[in-house]
Amino acid sequence: MKNSIAIILAIFVLAVSFLSFTNTPLVVKTFTGVKQGLGLAIGPALKIVGKPTGWIGNGFDRYVNLIHTKEENDRLKNRVDTLLMENQKIPELERENRSLKGLLDFVEKKPNTMIAAKVSGEDLKNWFHSIIIDKGRSSGIREKMPVITPKGLVGQAVEIDQWHSKVMVINDVNSSVDVNVEGKNTRGLLEGTGETTLKLRYVVKNDEIEIGDKLSTSGKDSIYPKGIPVGIVITVDRNKAGIFSDIDVMPFNNFKQLDEVLIVKKQ
Amino acid sequence: MKVLVLSITGLFLMLLQASISFHFSIDLFKPDFAIPLVIYVTFFMGAGPGFVTVLCVGFIEESLSIAPAGSIMFVLVSIFLITTFMKNKLYIDSRYSFAAVSSVAIVLESLLILMLSLLARGEAPNALHILLYAIPSALSTGLVSLFIYTFIEYLNAAYLDRE
Repeated sequence: MKNSIAIILAIFVLAVSFLSFTNTPLVVKTFTGVKQGLGLAIGPALKIVGKPTGWIGNGFDRYVNLIHTKEENDRLKNRVDTLLMENQKIPELERENRSLKGLLDFVEKKPNTMIAAKVSGEDLKNWFHSIIIDKGRSSGIREKMPVITPKGLVGQAVEIDQWHSKVMVINDVNSSVDVNVEGKNTRGLLEGTGETTLKLRYVVKNDEIEIGDKLSTSGKDSIYPKGIPVGIVITVDRNKAGIFSDIDVMPFNNFKQLDEVLIVKKQ
Repeated sequence: MKVLVLSITGLFLMLLQASISFHFSIDLFKPDFAIPLVIYVTFFMGAGPGFVTVLCVGFIEESLSIAPAGSIMFVLVSIFLITTFMKNKLYIDSRYSFAAVSSVAIVLESLLILMLSLLARGEAPNALHILLYAIPSALSTGLVSLFIYTFIEYLNAAYLDRE
C-alpha cells in the first residue's frame, strides 16, 4: 500500500517536471519557487564545502607546478630568446593594449556598475557548462547580466538565487554572442560547442577574416556591452559547402581556471 | 532517519563534486552521485524512502545545474520508477552488481534526457555531447558506486541498523 502511494506520487512529480520542462507558466513558477527556496541553503553550504576543496585544489596546483619547475626553467630560457624576436611585434601589442585599456576604462568610468564575485563551483552535469559564483540576488545580480574577467568575456548570469548565481559560460551549447572582428567590418554569431573552442557562424566566405583576428562583443544582442574581448580566430575554412565559412575561435579565458569574475550591472 | 542521513550524505557529495570538479578537469568522467543513492534506497529500503530521496537529491541537483527546470527531476523520477518495477527482476548481492546497475542507469539517464528534449521541444542541441559523455560518466559513476555502497553498508553496520 505504502509503495503504491509512493508510485502514484512519483508519477505526479513526473508529470509536474515534464510540464515544467515544457515551460507551462504556472508549473514553472511553482517549480522554480521550490528550487530557489532550496537555493537559499545551497549557496552558503557550497561556500563552506568549497573552502577546503579550494585549498586542496590550490595545493594540487602548487605541487604540479613544483614538479614542472625544472622543465619550466629550460622553457623560460628558450622563451627569453623568443621574446627578443617578438620585440618586432610591438605594433600588434599596442593594438592589444588599446583594447585592454578600453576594458579598463569601461570598468573605471563606471565603478558602480561592476560586482566582483568568487567562483565557488561548476555545473553538476557535464552536459551543460556553467559556473557557480558566490554572489546572488542580495548583491544586486539579475538574469542576463554579462560576466567578464580582465581577459575577456565569460558568459551571462542565468539563474539567480539569494546567495549564489549560475553563470552560463560562452562555450555552453545554448550560448551565442554577437561579435565583431576587431579592426574589420565583419560580424558574426559566436556559438558554444560544449568544447574548449567556439564556432563563429554566419560569416560569409568573402568576408574579411583570417587566423589570428581578435573578436569582441558587438553590443547588438542587447545582453553584452560593446567592446568586450571574447577570443581569437584559430581556423578559417572556406572550402566547406555553403555560403558561410567554418570558423573556430579560442576564447581568451580558460573557464577551468577562473577564480574571480566581474558581473556587469545593467543600466 | 536512514533516509535523512543518506540524503544529507547525497547533499554533501554533490556540493563536494560541484566545488572539486571546478579545480580538476573531469568533464568527461564526471560521476553522478544522485543515481546510485536513489537506486540503493529504492532497492534496499523500499519505494517510500526512495521517493523521498529522489525529491531531496533531485532538487539539490536542479539547484546546482543550469539544466532546464524539471529535466533532472524527470530523469531521476523515471529511474526511481524503473528501479521500483525492476526490483523483483534484478539481483544486487554485492557492490559490484550495484556498480553495474548504477552504470547502466547512467546510460539510461542520458537516453531519457535526450528523449525528453526531443519529445518536449523537438530538438536536442547537445545530443552529441550527451551521447559522448554517457559511457565515460557511466564508468566513473560505477567506480564511485563501489565506494558509496561500501560506505552505506558501513553506516548500516556501525550506526543505522541499531535503531
